[in-house]
Amino acid sequence: MQIQVKCSCGAEKCPEWAIIELQGVVEVQPSFQHSLQNLQIGLLCRPSSQENYTFTVGYHELTGYKVALKKPMVVLKKIKYMDVERQIDEATSSSSCVELDVVGFIRHKILFKTRPTTLISGPQPTVKEKINAEGA
Amino acid sequence: MMEQPHSCCKGAEVLLNLQPTSSVSIQYHPFFGSHDDLVLLELDEKLLSDVLYQRVTLRGQPDEDAVLCTKSKTYSVKFVGTSNSVFLIPPADCSTSHESGGENYKQQVATASVIKVAPGNMELVEVAPRLDKLKSILSENLYSSDEASTAMGDLYKWDDLINKVQASDDELKAGLQALSAVEIDGYWRIVDEKYMDVILRMLLHNSVLNDWLLDSLVEDKVVSVLESDGFPRKLVYHCLNVYGSSVEEEAMGGGVWRLDARRVCVHFARGVLREGKRKMESFMEEWLRMIPEEMQPSFDMLEGEVLTEKIGVETWVRALSVSSLPTTPAERFSILFKERAKWEWKDLEPYIRDLNVPGLSSEALLLKYTRRSQPSIDAEPVFSAR
Ligand SMILES: [Zn+2]
Repeated sequence: MQIQVKCSCGAEKCPEWAIIELQGVVEVQPSFQHSLQNLQIGLLCRPSSQENYTFTVGYHELTGYKVALKKPMVVLKKIKYMDVERQIDEATSSSSCVELDVVGFIRHKILFKTRPTTLISGPQPTVKEKINAEGA
Repeated sequence: MMEQPHSCCKGAEVLLNLQPTSSVSIQYHPFFGSHDDLVLLELDEKLLSDVLYQRVTLRGQPDEDAVLCTKSKTYSVKFVGTSNSVFLIPPADCSTSHESGGENYKQQVATASVIKVAPGNMELVEVAPRLDKLKSILSENLYSSDEASTAMGDLYKWDDLINKVQASDDELKAGLQALSAVEIDGYWRIVDEKYMDVILRMLLHNSVLNDWLLDSLVEDKVVSVLESDGFPRKLVYHCLNVYGSSVEEEAMGGGVWRLDARRVCVHFARGVLREGKRKMESFMEEWLRMIPEEMQPSFDMLEGEVLTEKIGVETWVRALSVSSLPTTPAERFSILFKERAKWEWKDLEPYIRDLNVPGLSSEALLLKYTRRSQPSIDAEPVFSAR
């Protein structure tokens, strides 16, 4: 079977997405785990004109910088649609009704490679960063 | 790239254009979730426009690992996981920003929302097209002289082949040509070699009867004579294509064809050896007898088509056509070493020179799949299985 890769935004208008990447895992306090929508993860600041950034998550402050990806990425969205004729036809492969839509592309990420330094004061955190020893 | 007002203080654009001494609140998107239907695909810069302009497809049956095909190349797709947290931030969707953005707007706090945490991304690795399957499905149902009476099995149109074979369009076309396949009534077919033999012999027979020159066959004459002998026009053209090539059109108009001595000679050699191996003398005698007078056969023409071996004092010849072998290196070498445990370079080379593995030179292929030994310093190196 063949899956067409499409861009329904129309090539030039395909929007750029962004990535924030950090070592380890961000944990959400248990009381918020079921209501993540619009919950703040942290505050990202650009202190100077350089492409350096800080990301404050709970009591932790991470420092990082903006990097261009070595190779671009595209964000693909699988779209399944009902093909009525085929379904009547019988249980033919439903997979033939899949398309991949290029919903965006990515060229940059803001990367926080350092282990966090703990901030002494701050608001009661609802999310906290857990250091992942394996993080690259 | 986004045609949204710069005042829109949400989403990826705010992050990517963050001004010095300003900040942005990173939060979970109203639709934050695992979104397994959203995947990241890393690709070479030169492929980006192919993807955006809809020139790539994914091909493969449900039981196969999908490959990504551009017009000319095939890539395998593999997932590379990460232990980092990769927050994926889409551009602001201004339709939703109205509902949820009011409060933030008042506070003048820019926000960007994370739609999912990506567990990794897909990567592309250029691979050779998987054309062995093309050969096997087309070989199930050869086009033969009694086509009408044979039971109809599966037949394949171009679109069926695209759905079944993991290869780019260009690679599939080249694969069909390498198999001498022909499109008959919309279906791609391989013509039974015995039937091709009948047509070729009839063409050569007529060339003698009518004093045609084999290096300047006039298409109109050939086609009309062979058609009157009962061969379908399409197959007469196919015969000219398989055993010859069209030469510059003459002023008199109409196509002119030249038969290719090598292809004709190989065809007859295969015919002689179809029933099994032969002693060299008897093979040569029969083979030379079949070849048209105008052609100069030489045993070198049979490189990659026949193997010779010494048994006692006799030299034997048997058929082994490179076109009958698998195209994946591992399978190719495995069959070659079953045929013969030790190979000299001059014998081996014709059977591996067509192997095409992106990123692997032929030296690297030899290192990977063979063991090289040299009985003495001035002896020819010998290759055996690893
Ligand atoms: Zn798009």
